[in-house]
Amino acid sequence: MNNMNPSENKTLPSRHSLLIASITAVVIAFLLYIIIVLPAEYNIDPTGIGKRMGLTALSETVAQEPVHESYDTANQTPIRREDVVMVTVPALKGVEYKFKLEKYANLKYQWKTIDNSKVYFDFHGEPAGDTTGYFESFTIATTNKMLGSAIVPFEGSHGWYWKNNSNQEVIIELKTSGNYQVIGLK
Amino acid sequence: MNKETIKYFINPQLNLLLLILGLTFSTLIVAHGIDSTTKSFLLNNTGVSIIPFIYIGAKHMVTGYDHLLFLIGVIFFLYKTRDIIIYVSLFTLGHSFTLLLGVFNDIMVNPYLIDAIIGFSIVYKGFDNLGGFNKLIGFQLNTKIAVLVFGLFHGFGLATKLQGYELNNEGLLSNLIAFNIGVELGQFIALVVVLIALNIWRKFDSYIKFSGLINTLLMAAGMLLIMYQLTGYFLEN
Repeated sequence: MNNMNPSENKTLPSRHSLLIASITAVVIAFLLYIIIVLPAEYNIDPTGIGKRMGLTALSETVAQEPVHESYDTANQTPIRREDVVMVTVPALKGVEYKFKLEKYANLKYQWKTIDNSKVYFDFHGEPAGDTTGYFESFTIATTNKMLGSAIVPFEGSHGWYWKNNSNQEVIIELKTSGNYQVIGLK
Repeated sequence: MNKETIKYFINPQLNLLLLILGLTFSTLIVAHGIDSTTKSFLLNNTGVSIIPFIYIGAKHMVTGYDHLLFLIGVIFFLYKTRDIIIYVSLFTLGHSFTLLLGVFNDIMVNPYLIDAIIGFSIVYKGFDNLGGFNKLIGFQLNTKIAVLVFGLFHGFGLATKLQGYELNNEGLLSNLIAFNIGVELGQFIALVVVLIALNIWRKFDSYIKFSGLINTLLMAAGMLLIMYQLTGYFLEN
């Protein structure tokens, strides 16, 4: 019995049971995919079972975000707007909050942690259409507040990655104004 | 994985099954890749940091269920230590080559597609272990070449995970080699655990009895990975 010649092993399946094994594998994979993986990973829930088991919550973060829905997000030319949003960073976790900006668009921002605790952050931008995961960091630091104005060097999604290294959740109040579209939590 | 292994000693008949099921399904919930702590480290890091990169590599391998499932498939019917060393070395050679090549030459492969191919490698190995190629096409593909070729794809998978972060060029070679060493260490640790479990189970008749089932489940896990990754690919593009 060795790997080079498994057919010598009489306990291995015949052609018929090979077919059964393959079909079984396809069925198991497909069911798990439809019932569990699609809802949990992509918030696509064809059977409705994922929602009942609470799995869709794992991929629903964008929908739960308190984005100001009254703004016309379908509008392709961004209008000047102002937003205030509370972003919760769970203990020992990191979250990202992003805005879509045109090249050389201006973003005024001001954020602070509600309880004055310091968080690690990375203020960065990702070029539009890029799928490689490339991003450019503008500021990386650990602080409890930040105030500024940025003219972004390229079109794409820009915003903050906050990392909460403490054992308690941190709430960040983020005020922004400028010509942008809210992408929200990522 | 450790928890499953301990249980295995208590109830040897069932537990490799649990081990594989556990590896397959529980880890699907955890995002495969690099977690946020590691991310902030990679973002901040400049210059040579050997030990952290070894750690990241090892952690990636120990928690990288796709690589492990493939390895389980590869060693499932390998009984001689010498064979295990040969096959694992070929796998190591393959993935080290493309890991270094990929990061150094900045070869960007779409992570979803590469992970789908890794899923396919698991399906291939499960099918091969069932004797599928002998029965279907009358001969078996050279398993040594196959493990080397799939090793190359796994290496691109490792490379894309690292490339997701703009690594600082300073000390890149040392850091990469450290990451690679970590990958091999992690692989070694995982292999030892899996081999202990397999070797104990091999003493029981149920090993052969369940071999069909285990390899069917391996195929299922591989197919699930393919569907999962391809969905990600099509949603993003």
